[in-house]
Amino acid sequence: MLPRAALLTLFFLVVVAPVGWALGYAVAYSVGWAGLLSRGFTLEHWHRVLTDGEVLPSMAHSLALAAVCVVLTVILALCITLPLRASVTRGALSDALLFPLALPPTVAALFVLQMFSGAGLLSRVAFHLGLIREPRDFPHLIFDPAGIGILTTHLLLAVPFFCLLFAQIHRNEKLDELTSLAKTLGAGRAACLRRVVLPILLRRSRANLSLFFIGVLGSFEIPSLLGAQSPRMISVLTRQKFALFDLSEKSQAYIIAVLYSLLALSLIALTFRKKEAPHVA
Amino acid sequence: MSRKILIAVLCAGCVFPLAYLVLLSVAGDWAFPHILPPKLLVRRWVEIFQGPAALGKSVLLSTGMALAVALLSTACGFAISRVIARHRRRGLLVLLAHVPFAMSPVILGTCLLYLFIRLELAGTVPGVILAQFLFACSYSIILFLGFWNGHTFALEQLVYTLGGNRRQMVLRMLLPVARPLLLTGFFQTFLFSWFDYGMTLVIGAGKLPTLTLKIFEYVASADFYLAGACATLLILPPLAVLLINRRLLLAGRI
Repeated sequence: MLPRAALLTLFFLVVVAPVGWALGYAVAYSVGWAGLLSRGFTLEHWHRVLTDGEVLPSMAHSLALAAVCVVLTVILALCITLPLRASVTRGALSDALLFPLALPPTVAALFVLQMFSGAGLLSRVAFHLGLIREPRDFPHLIFDPAGIGILTTHLLLAVPFFCLLFAQIHRNEKLDELTSLAKTLGAGRAACLRRVVLPILLRRSRANLSLFFIGVLGSFEIPSLLGAQSPRMISVLTRQKFALFDLSEKSQAYIIAVLYSLLALSLIALTFRKKEAPHVA
Repeated sequence: MSRKILIAVLCAGCVFPLAYLVLLSVAGDWAFPHILPPKLLVRRWVEIFQGPAALGKSVLLSTGMALAVALLSTACGFAISRVIARHRRRGLLVLLAHVPFAMSPVILGTCLLYLFIRLELAGTVPGVILAQFLFACSYSIILFLGFWNGHTFALEQLVYTLGGNRRQMVLRMLLPVARPLLLTGFFQTFLFSWFDYGMTLVIGAGKLPTLTLKIFEYVASADFYLAGACATLLILPPLAVLLINRRLLLAGRI
């Protein structure tokens, strides 16, 4: 193996330095220190971003969607895992839950597009049930401002994963024994769930949930295929502003990148400040 | 009884997306309001590799890039994680290793594009491999950190105590003991590159027709049958591994 110093240098060169450079360049561009149109330090771009009514709603939309996604994923995964725990850990269901993990986000988005579009499979079923007469009668479940299509795709990918994760934590933390003990001490079923099972499951999966939140917040493929024109998710907005011919829009793209990075890095620092790692088998 | 029905519904719900995409890839004239395709065109798969779509090139490109990323990041991640695990600033270094996870590939790629242009790596295969390696390597480091525990260090010391040299320790003890985890790391990083869209789009400047980019291209041109074929090709490697060894797909994620 290479010497220790060389390996550490490699680590800083390939993992730390690019992120540092990217953030530094984005900050420099956003205040007019870099780029073709740079004219020295200015906060004009920041002022424009904070007042133009596009970036902040996009940020709020992304944050809200990510939060709803995490909450719904936890609720659905718990609703499946707690009553069907034995089936989630072995048997046909445990095997079936692995199938969605083989789906890349792009493919999952394509599937949801095929299901939820006006001429999609659900619309066809609705037609045969006599609920609609033509594709345009079907409700807008994709390209919608509420992000139903985006949300569904993330749930399709994440719920099976969190079912398996919760089942594994349940077993590793011996929650059945702890619940029995709590019941022996006089706790009811609801109290066991509220004070024993849920706190342990959520605490042990906190790192995974944080990473999932950040993942949804910065997701690109899914909102690109299924998202509305307005409001757009952060990554999509960044990419669109960067790809525009108007060079002044590029500084806005970098400002969004800075805002997103600060948010995500703060969350990572908060989550992993106690050297907490994602749950690994 | 209702429990069995619920399990059956959940199983069907998990398998249905894959079955649907395979069906889409061979469907013919599957227009509204048909629930099932009126005809199946199995020959489309021959055309996919021989016709104008020429997905063979995309498959080769995606496979080559994914293999390179997996090989590099597994080797580097394994070696670097050993140093980090023994470092006195381990906590800080582990936190730094998590930093790329905080970044959206598209946003990080956008910020890095200027650097890649200056290095003449934008729009090239090595450039995209390097960009993907940034994420894959940090993933590998985090995955392998758990391997460097007291037991592994004790085994290393045992080899030296028994007269083995460094080379023997690595080749005859370390690599065989770490083999299952190395396989997991290799497969997971392969999938990272295989599934990647953001970095390939931004750093590749849209010039590298990988399978994920092809899906977007076909969806944009409303050719859902070819998009379905691309999707099926993308799903094949993880599915194959799923059938052979489910641990490779799960380990490190759970």
